[in-house]
Amino acid sequence: MILPITRRAALFAATALPLLPRLAMAGPAVGQPAPDFLLPDQDGAMHRLQDYRGKLLVLEWTNHECPYVRKHYGSGNMQSLQALAADKGVVWLSIASSPEGEQGHVTGAEAKELTVSRGARPEAVLLDPMSRAARAYQATTTPEMFVIGRDGTLLYMGGIDSIRSTRPADIERAEPYLRNALLAAVEGRPVEPSVTRPYGCAVKYAPAA
Amino acid sequence: MIGKRFRRGAGAALGLALLAAGPAYALESAPFTSPQTSVTLVSEAAAIAPGEPFRLGLRQQISPGWHTYWSNPGDAGEPPSLTFDLPAGASAGELQFPAPERIEYGPLVNFGYENEVVFPVTVTPPADLQPGQSFTVRTDAFWLVCKDICIPEETSFTLALPVEPTARSDAATAPLFAAAEASLPRPSLWQAEAGFEGDRGVLRLSGDLLSPDAVASAFFFPAEWGVIENAAPQELRVGQGELSLGLVRAKGELPERLSGVIAVTDAAGSRSAYALDAPLGPVPPAASSTGGAGLPLWQAALFAALGGLLLNLMPCVFPILAMKAVGIAALAGRADRTIRLHALSYVTGVLLSFLALAGLLLLLKGAGMAAGWGFQFTSPLFVAAMAWLMLAVGLNLSGVYALGGPVSAGSGLAAKGGHAGSFFTGVLAVLVATPCTAPFMAAATGAAFAMPPAATLAVFAALGLGMGAPYALLAFLPRLARLLPRPGLWMERLKQALAFPMYGAAGWLLWVLTVQTGADGLLVALAGALLVAFAAWVLGIAQSAGRRGAWAGRGAAALAMLAALAVLPQLQAAETPQATMADAAAAEPWSEARVAELRAQGRPVFVNLTAAWCITCKVNERVALDTTATQEAFAAAGVATLVGDWTNGDPAIGALLQRHGREGVPLYLLYPAGSGDPVVLPQILTESIVLQALEPVARTAGQMPAPSQS
Repeated sequence: MILPITRRAALFAATALPLLPRLAMAGPAVGQPAPDFLLPDQDGAMHRLQDYRGKLLVLEWTNHECPYVRKHYGSGNMQSLQALAADKGVVWLSIASSPEGEQGHVTGAEAKELTVSRGARPEAVLLDPMSRAARAYQATTTPEMFVIGRDGTLLYMGGIDSIRSTRPADIERAEPYLRNALLAAVEGRPVEPSVTRPYGCAVKYAPAA
Repeated sequence: MIGKRFRRGAGAALGLALLAAGPAYALESAPFTSPQTSVTLVSEAAAIAPGEPFRLGLRQQISPGWHTYWSNPGDAGEPPSLTFDLPAGASAGELQFPAPERIEYGPLVNFGYENEVVFPVTVTPPADLQPGQSFTVRTDAFWLVCKDICIPEETSFTLALPVEPTARSDAATAPLFAAAEASLPRPSLWQAEAGFEGDRGVLRLSGDLLSPDAVASAFFFPAEWGVIENAAPQELRVGQGELSLGLVRAKGELPERLSGVIAVTDAAGSRSAYALDAPLGPVPPAASSTGGAGLPLWQAALFAALGGLLLNLMPCVFPILAMKAVGIAALAGRADRTIRLHALSYVTGVLLSFLALAGLLLLLKGAGMAAGWGFQFTSPLFVAAMAWLMLAVGLNLSGVYALGGPVSAGSGLAAKGGHAGSFFTGVLAVLVATPCTAPFMAAATGAAFAMPPAATLAVFAALGLGMGAPYALLAFLPRLARLLPRPGLWMERLKQALAFPMYGAAGWLLWVLTVQTGADGLLVALAGALLVAFAAWVLGIAQSAGRRGAWAGRGAAALAMLAALAVLPQLQAAETPQATMADAAAAEPWSEARVAELRAQGRPVFVNLTAAWCITCKVNERVALDTTATQEAFAAAGVATLVGDWTNGDPAIGALLQRHGREGVPLYLLYPAGSGDPVVLPQILTESIVLQALEPVARTAGQMPAPSQS
């Protein structure tokens, strides 16, 4: 008979579903090696993950026109986190993944101008107009933060803090996830929580090549 | 969300109400407008009563291309929020979120709303309010609206409402709130379970109303971030009474329960949403819709062969086999070669028939008609024809007429004893097996959908081999036939006795037919059976008569058979599907004339246009129409209910749907007694929507139409 069999068939199928495209591909996972990237910065110098072996690294996905990013730059919160990182010897890379014509796209010159005008202190702004790094890290929002250990292991991924809003007044009341993760990494403590919900504007992805 | 027609109507009505309302009190606040949105705070109550909760709504009209967000916005975004500033003693509940849409953005997926959405929220005023006072609601509102860019919008709304001894709703905003309520997820009617292993998981619902015919598509919106990958396709499987979605794990922590909203679109294209809260455990089995889709071919073929073997015991097939048994008994003592050839002929007949069926299935599939395949086997025409065939074969076995008659090449040849006879017995066995095997066939159809054509053919061949296996065994071990007793008079007796299983099978098929078509169909089928019996009898006489009578007899038999075939189409007319018969037991069938008649008698009329495969219709009936409260209210107002069943696509119902701008069911019309246009209820009903719609209509009970209109 066929009916009872199909149940088994279904069970089989459920466990052997074909691999799915899109974000279902192996992405970043805390405790695993962080995905590699190879991107030019505002001056055209190339940066890749392995260049930073032995250093703690913060990746910040950004789109300077996004209201959620503006919340953290306008209030000075992002700059003070960058200053804290620099102070502790942590490398901070801002990544702009918007393709040309989309909100948040910057040229090297624009990136430099923004860094100056906002008093920002990233080590570099990486230009990712093909959204390659965004795909590798499966970044969904701006801002979205990653902390990578000295051995290249991913330590933290998620939001900058706990309150999903565009109101600067919420920053003080929020649990500062990134700050906590950064300090824990510096002090060699386990990062807790290590995965949080990022919030903000959708990352503007370039069409898949 | 909200039906387009409905929305437009509500908007127009609201506009008029605003014009008519005084300057101090309004049902809708001054709008916040931007190029992206026009947003208001709207009240369901025109006047509130002390201490009595009432509903407000945050109403967003969203420009094309832009969207706002659900409580879980998906990969990015933020849901709207209200921060109330209420008079002392008043309180506000949580903002309620209608079921969202899936909004794709590059590789990301957001959950939200386009065009228009109303988020209801319940406000309870203090009990110490005095009629004559006014109650002013003030709220700060925030929402994010995005296209490719996101814009946060923020404003404050103020709405002043009069306090009266009893609360008063307003016809202007009632439809808006009815639509909003209809767009909220309903409590789930099903048992839900979910589980993950690695990065894969399954959400499984079980319970009635779920069937492959009723569910066209489904999507699960998770309540929390990080549990499942928003952008991953959710593989849908639907079986009888079960549904499953394949889920992909996301990066967040796994909660103890998987909660969220499942949106189900039924065969009629109408969408309804249900709140789910499934315990997380081991991965539940997926529903069995696509049959052997995930099964290795050899396994599918093995199970098909076993299924084929079991078919030998099905009530439809058994008599044919009994007939064949006689033939085999006759072979006892014959040469091995003869026995082997007979057995092989039979198996070939079975095999080729199954391959022909598979070929037909593939053709239908290619033509996009496979969905209707399952119904072919349950067609009353087919069942009646099979009943007559059984009767004809039985009469043959009883000796009413001899072989080679016009009844069927199969049975005639089958009894002839030649190799062709064995072959056609096989064909006949497969043919008569079909009405008994509809459930198997349905599953096989499912399997065929998921398999390449060659695999489908292989599975059907295996089914045939399984069915023919006992005879194939005979072919390989002809000596087995020697174990059978020698031919003799007992064979004639056995043959006559075997007529009775045939009559039994015919009787059983007629019973199946009554279930399908009711008493009228039975009458047609019995009339046909009478003609078949008459044909057999005349044929028998013709065969025994001399040359003279032969042609007359054969002619009469042929005429009787033609007459029998001529009554067959009557069955189509008598056809009434079982499912809707049961549902509609309490209600009269719909007709334009009956509506007019009842209204002329001063009764309001509720028209329910439904279909057996319409899941939204069935859920509405269960949660909103067949409830005690609704039935009592209908009875109190003298409302007559008429049910229009669109299962078979009745053109009159189609025309009525079209008049109301609908492409399909459900459609609910509430006609006031006497005259006047009907109220069109939303496609998704709740008890309160029905009861509220009933209020004004109930007042018309006893009204007769004006003479000029009758």
